[in-house]
Amino acid sequence: MASSSSSSSGATERRGIPGAQFVEDVQTYLTQLGLDVNSALAFLQERLQQYKVVEMKLLAQQRELQAKIPDIEKCLEVVATLQAKKGTGEELITDFEVSEGIYSRAAIEETDSVCLWLGANVMLEYSLEEATALLQKNLDNARASLEVLVADLLFLRDQTTITQVTIARVYNWDVHQRRTQQVATTAIAQE
Amino acid sequence: MQQGGGSETEVTWEDQQNINKFGRLNNRLHELHDEIKIAKEANDNLEDASNELILTDEEVVRFQIGEVFAHVPKDEVESRIEQLQEATSQKLEKLEEEKQSVVAQMSELKKILYGKFGESINLEED
Repeated sequence: MASSSSSSSGATERRGIPGAQFVEDVQTYLTQLGLDVNSALAFLQERLQQYKVVEMKLLAQQRELQAKIPDIEKCLEVVATLQAKKGTGEELITDFEVSEGIYSRAAIEETDSVCLWLGANVMLEYSLEEATALLQKNLDNARASLEVLVADLLFLRDQTTITQVTIARVYNWDVHQRRTQQVATTAIAQE
Repeated sequence: MQQGGGSETEVTWEDQQNINKFGRLNNRLHELHDEIKIAKEANDNLEDASNELILTDEEVVRFQIGEVFAHVPKDEVESRIEQLQEATSQKLEKLEEEKQSVVAQMSELKKILYGKFGESINLEED
């Protein structure tokens, strides 16, 4: 059996998520940890729970970003519409929602600027070009964050899978162990 | 992905990596199912919109941009919807292609893993 039962996986940690150890041989693994089957299983189950908690957190972040991206795209579309009207001398007539289910009509005159809500009770007026650039930057950032998050989730799921497989293997090893022991004792008793 | 039974088949790092890969693909497959469903709905909605547009006599229709309904000339809406339709059907095509490749990779991995572990491994959905 391999001299080391330690993980041969590349990454041992990713952005605060500890890597799961791949077990080459259950017996060696237990001896190295100095744990019996039950405490090893308890440790692994706890680890699995921790992974689940982190997964929930990451999934929530993912949903948030996935909702944010279309929002920014919508904003960009509106600014692009205003920009297209620029120089035509026409106004943009819109029906907008005043309150839920109640609409009113507004005419937006040809404009060079829009106000962007920046958050924290701050709204700032931007030229259409600047607004587009800012929104585009936000969109790129959101997409980049989502990409990192998806990679985090993939890593996390691998660790979860490794831990699940390890639990099954420790459990199976134990069953196997007991069975051979039982066979041995019955054999002795029969003698 | 859970193993059952009491049999002792040695699990190597390579097996583990295959199991991980299978898990990833299975997850992606579920995501793809959702994404395909959404893309199909978007496609249907655009189809409905373009059909309604043919029937209407109005010269100016209300077209949703962001949160508001802008008054946009009918022919401009027509071309906008056409563009959107093209974009969504391309997206749908890409998703379907990815789905096929995921399914193919999964059945390849199933062959390998079932070949080695037989009944001690379960790769089917509950």
